Amino acid sequence: MTTTISPDAAAATQDGPEDAPRIPRRATAPPSVHGRPNRAGWTGPTYYGRSQLKASPFENPVVGGYIFLAGLSGSAAVIAALADLRQGAAAAALVRRGRYLALVAPILGAPLLIYDLHTPKRFYNMLRVAKHTSPMSIGTWILMGFTGAAGLTAAAQAGTDLWPRLRGLNGLARAAQVPTALTGLGLSTYTASLLSATSTPLWAAAPRSLAMRFGASSMASAASALALTEPDPDHRRALEGTAAAALAVELAGAAIAHATYRRTGVEGALKGKAGRVEHIGATLLGTALPLGILAASLLTRRGLPRPVTALAAVATLAGTAALRVSIMAAGDRSAEDPDVSFRFSQPENLPER
Amino acid sequence: MTYVKEGVVTIVQESRFQLTDDNGIAHLFLLDRNAGAEPAQLAPLQARQARVRVTYEQARNLIGLVARSVSLLPPAAR
Amino acid sequence: MNMHPRALEHATSTLDHVIPNESELTAGARIVPGRSYGFFTDTTVCIGCKACEVACKEWNNLPADNLGLTGQSFDNTGALSANTWRHVAFVEKSGSHGLRDGLDQKFQSGWLMMSDVCKHCHNAPCLEACPTGALFKTEFDTVVVQQDICNGCGYCVPACPFGVVDVSTVDGKAHKCTLCYDRLKGGLEPACAKSCPTDSIQFGELSDLQVRAAERVEHLHGIGVESAYLYGTPDAPGATGGLGHLNAFFLLTDRPEVYNLPAAPTRPANRVAPSLATGLATVAALALASAFLFAPSPEDRRGGRR
Repeated sequence: MTTTISPDAAAATQDGPEDAPRIPRRATAPPSVHGRPNRAGWTGPTYYGRSQLKASPFENPVVGGYIFLAGLSGSAAVIAALADLRQGAAAAALVRRGRYLALVAPILGAPLLIYDLHTPKRFYNMLRVAKHTSPMSIGTWILMGFTGAAGLTAAAQAGTDLWPRLRGLNGLARAAQVPTALTGLGLSTYTASLLSATSTPLWAAAPRSLAMRFGASSMASAASALALTEPDPDHRRALEGTAAAALAVELAGAAIAHATYRRTGVEGALKGKAGRVEHIGATLLGTALPLGILAASLLTRRGLPRPVTALAAVATLAGTAALRVSIMAAGDRSAEDPDVSFRFSQPENLPER
Repeated sequence: MTYVKEGVVTIVQESRFQLTDDNGIAHLFLLDRNAGAEPAQLAPLQARQARVRVTYEQARNLIGLVARSVSLLPPAAR
Repeated sequence: MNMHPRALEHATSTLDHVIPNESELTAGARIVPGRSYGFFTDTTVCIGCKACEVACKEWNNLPADNLGLTGQSFDNTGALSANTWRHVAFVEKSGSHGLRDGLDQKFQSGWLMMSDVCKHCHNAPCLEACPTGALFKTEFDTVVVQQDICNGCGYCVPACPFGVVDVSTVDGKAHKCTLCYDRLKGGLEPACAKSCPTDSIQFGELSDLQVRAAERVEHLHGIGVESAYLYGTPDAPGATGGLGHLNAFFLLTDRPEVYNLPAAPTRPANRVAPSLATGLATVAALALASAFLFAPSPEDRRGGRR
């Protein structure tokens, strides 16, 4: 008996993009083979190698791009507010750039989200309800709040830049940066719960460590972006210290996440191209390498030469983007691969009660 | 490639409708997401047994037609 | 099966009107808003006729999709999709762990068929994920997508633990079984259940169906089909991880994966709080570290540099 899909049949069903259920990548063992769950993946019966799940219909570079920009914006607002509260006028230039950088999520990120809707003209329906069970709804309201607060902060900042005499504007910016930073904390990390609160195995397997990685890499990306353009060596050192701390947390998060993936049996989703990007691009070149450079720079009294630390900043930014897109792609793969999806939906993976 | 069909809207479900042409043949249409009409506008057409003109394209991997636009015709038009 | 007394009111074989509360005659259940309704799909009596698939397409005006042959037994439908809301799965295997084991035609004896459908979960993950409120619980305790609100964000698709919901690339909205919401409002049994010739798909009030299903399992165990069990009733496989119960539940005779069902699905909304809390704690801790690194230097405190 055979369960292999004939190439002709597969071709006939694959040529139409319209509403065609995805043809499974793998045609597996006969469905009557009984197996036991193991670490590597599901070895029991499947339904003609199909997965019981559907992968997200998101365009990964678009939504991954938004997650990157949201983290960059939110964390830039947090760092700018901290620098202002701690150093005031001494950090004015850094604070100004942080406040402007915070606008990338409202200006570039929100259009990406609307573009990814399948009926974009109805984007405003997101504002009909607020639901604590839906991170997409929570995130919509965080983004709305952040957009208002960050917009006000940046507008007041622009006013101060144009008319330095107007004292009130500076006060307004300092007041508005507090709600900006608070919503910025949420914007830096809610995207991890957006992915985890699904049935996609790779995202659902490690909700805590994914949030740790996304949150930490958001802080690392914002600190790196601000450090790239920071002329003052003391401020640059503080930013590089922030980035190094965030990268260390991100690396710890990655270690915990991978241990969880092994324990829950979803590691198979990281075997392909997306997994290589996650391992090499995001974790090795995007986290471990810049962490090493920044740690070396911070431990030497005068720091490493500027081009070297700039390389670390660029690697951090690229690694942050790579982490988001690769986690999204590997998640889709985990949903489509029955070896992973059935392994994950075994009773032993149920949360303790 | 766009085509045109005229007839009466005889069934409406969500964004899908059945158009029965003058020969009594029924065609299944899906309202395209970029079509001018909203799905909610289809039900009244069915209730009134309105004559409409539909411009459409063929769907791939689907036995149905994709309606690009739906326009109302005067009742007597032949 | 006993005839409903009301059936005598409609003695002619041709009807010129809709029978009021027809469901009472066809399914033995009167449809009253405010009560829970669902499907009990007994796979042991499914004969794979696909009448449910056809009835669903006919009533809901759904186009045939996924054209071509799959080479996977009699299943050319493949999976539930935006345009396919009932899907009959066919599994050919040797031995059924039951009545007809040991017959000569081994593969005929162990042919499993199951009509899959949206489970209309009690704590429906698609509904909980929907950021527009397009997905809602109806007065019949079923889960429906409001087409005039859905903006096609697609978040319900990965949220569903059963791979049911799908976004149509034609109209850009999410679609799934409505448990024939329009028919229920008109007192009619859902199209698939009404068309099922073996009563494999039974429609009714959920509490009645659960009692009926438990009795059916007991009966099957009594006649030697020890492998029979329920999927989706409270505390059974399929109703795990905080999902509550499934309003559309199944009687199966092999492990869930054979029918392309997850053994232990979970409720995604339970992961929102742990994830958000960890993320916020991480970013807040790093912000504290950053605040420490931005400590004002002594000359700053005296009046600023530069």
